[in-house]
Amino acid sequence: MAFIDIKKTKLAIIGSVGVPASYGGFETLAEHLIDNLSSEYDITVYCSGKKYKKEYRRKTYKNAKLKYIPLEANGIQSIFYDMLSIFHSLFYADVLLILGVPGAVLLPFVRLFTKKKIIISIDGIEWKRDKWNLIAKWYLFWVEGLAVKYSHIDISDNESIQDYTALRYGSLSRVVEYGADHTIKIEPSELNYIDYPFLKCKYAFKVCRIEPENNVHEVLKAFADLPEYNLVIVGNWNNSDYGLDFKDKFKDYPNIYLIDPIYDQRKLDVLRGNAHVYVHGHSAGGTNPSLVEAMYLGLPIIAFSVSYNRVTTENKAWYFKNKVELKNIIESSTPEELSSIGDKMQEIAKRRYNWKLIANKYKQLINESLKTKKKLNVYPRTKDIPKDILGKMNLSHLKHQHTFVKK
Amino acid sequence: MKTDYLYFIYPIVSLIIVVLLTPPSRKLANIIGLVDKPNFRKSHFTPIPVIGGAIVFISCFITVLLNVDILLNFDKINLLAIGGGVILLMGILDDRYNLPALFKLIVQLALSYYVYVSGVKIESLFGIFGINELPEVIKMILTILVITGSINAFNLTDGIDGLAAGLAIIGLSAFTIISVLLKEVFLTLLFVSIIGGLIGFLKFNLGKKNKVFLGDAGSLFLGYILVVSGLILINKSISTNNIAVTLSTVIGVMILPVIDSVRVYTGRIFKGNSPFRADKTHLHHLLINLKLKHGKASIIIVVIAILLLLLSILTGTFFSHTTAIILLLVLFTVFSNILALNNNINEWTQKNKALENRDYKD
Repeated sequence: MAFIDIKKTKLAIIGSVGVPASYGGFETLAEHLIDNLSSEYDITVYCSGKKYKKEYRRKTYKNAKLKYIPLEANGIQSIFYDMLSIFHSLFYADVLLILGVPGAVLLPFVRLFTKKKIIISIDGIEWKRDKWNLIAKWYLFWVEGLAVKYSHIDISDNESIQDYTALRYGSLSRVVEYGADHTIKIEPSELNYIDYPFLKCKYAFKVCRIEPENNVHEVLKAFADLPEYNLVIVGNWNNSDYGLDFKDKFKDYPNIYLIDPIYDQRKLDVLRGNAHVYVHGHSAGGTNPSLVEAMYLGLPIIAFSVSYNRVTTENKAWYFKNKVELKNIIESSTPEELSSIGDKMQEIAKRRYNWKLIANKYKQLINESLKTKKKLNVYPRTKDIPKDILGKMNLSHLKHQHTFVKK
Repeated sequence: MKTDYLYFIYPIVSLIIVVLLTPPSRKLANIIGLVDKPNFRKSHFTPIPVIGGAIVFISCFITVLLNVDILLNFDKINLLAIGGGVILLMGILDDRYNLPALFKLIVQLALSYYVYVSGVKIESLFGIFGINELPEVIKMILTILVITGSINAFNLTDGIDGLAAGLAIIGLSAFTIISVLLKEVFLTLLFVSIIGGLIGFLKFNLGKKNKVFLGDAGSLFLGYILVVSGLILINKSISTNNIAVTLSTVIGVMILPVIDSVRVYTGRIFKGNSPFRADKTHLHHLLINLKLKHGKASIIIVVIAILLLLLSILTGTFFSHTTAIILLLVLFTVFSNILALNNNINEWTQKNKALENRDYKD
């Protein structure tokens, strides 16, 4: 049979650690973009050679080509990791999908010398996070501006981030979140019950990096005052003084279980899926994959009160600002409320956080980027009409329109 | 005349006069309302007497009177003394009654013109940017522009404790060395008297008890003294071997306040505001936003000023003044841009906090 050979658009996915995914949000995203879009695009994914040892490397994965860059995809090396990936992709790609901003210093040059289309996901508001030192903050703050200015389309993973980009840059950022439908609920096995005896009781669950921005301290202090409620936190306790300190301080509380990182996804799914309630302490920007996954499992959510979490949960979960509020929520919650909130969370997740939908949004943006020349902004088109002309048409009020960010 | 020992006596006398004169003058200032009242742009909470400039001026005046020779040769310093007195007086009135900006500008332009007419002018660009000889009209415009611009630039450095006085002490110290080289006894004596007076002033300005401010009077006066002295020194060394070092010293002394104010003005215009609308983008504001205390921020800026001065002298004498100016411009621009970026980060961190905590909208 003869097929007409239509050349597929070549898409480079840059900035994730790589696929097969075993890390965070970007990697899972890349994996699902391959699953859903590889029939339409010729996809290449850049992977970190430091994370994929030689013997595990392969040329292709599920219809996508893989390229290995011999650098770490995170931390300071991410700047050069992203830059090298961008540079390499210039030789063949039509559209560059860049996840994260560190390599965006190259974008002005890419725009100047090539006709490549650039879609960049600016992630959270990275420069704001306390884990960066001053110079890193300066760099990230500056490079975020370049990313927005020199891309064809910029993506926010949360409406609240969209407000920020609109305010700071006047750019109309597109909101594309994450999927969660790869998450599965697993019933515990006999062995699990032996390893984790708390599985037999009701417990609150939290999994995160042990950092102040995830409010681990507030959660621990609240549960220290609630001896009849169990708390399980999985995280890298031994990584910092902050973690070690708590591990020591709370080791004598029988209701608090501090568990070292679990790399076995099945085990983690068991612990998370069977929790009574999910505590989400993240305060950093954006839609957090761990939150949407917990929502998809139908867990009742108690989230830290920032706009990102409220937007993700459509303001239908419980929210706390400090340990007192968290304690009040836990003590006053009834079983009916718990199951009703769990249901609402699951409904939202099924509606919004499924990979087919997310991949489709990316598809639309990629197709749009191939057609657009000018970047969209949030200003009304009347902005460029002189005041007196508007006045003659009795339309002066159009000079004072409020955009969505002012709401 | 054997005068060397006077170089050490004058500043001490001037310092002692300031120390004796300040506490009673504070009371007087409080009575006549010559105080800086706290408002939202200020970081102090009680009214502070703005009497520092006047006291420094008076103490120098008394000190200079100690020597009959100076009175007999008053024409050597009359431009500085009379012009300084006029601008000080205007400053005092401004501190008390808030004169209109246009009026102040006219006084400064008139004063600059007076300096030009008295023969102290920019005679040549000395090869900077390849330009030497200037037509008379350009000389006049340039002289007026440089004097008025520098006075205002210096006026704007007076935003945190000790800064304007610190910069003036550095500048006048450099000028003292030059005037000793040029054997200008009377200028030297005037410079060291002002330095002594300023050191006395700093004791009160940086302390908690009996705090005083320089006021517009003081900073305008010091700006005037610095720029006109600079021009006088350049003109005196035109036909000597010292011209290169004098020129680069004067450039090094004036460049920090001047570039900073140009940066602030252009920044305001770029934002679509009036260049004269007060904001918080001066170098000292940027440093304070790094969570530095006033005293520390002043010390850092003074150290930067010293480094720029040394760099200007080294590059100006060994390479060219053009190189020196370009180098200083680049260094300062990089430095202030990083600080401005940091400032921007602080601003957006605040805005983000507000965004994060605002009510959920459907």
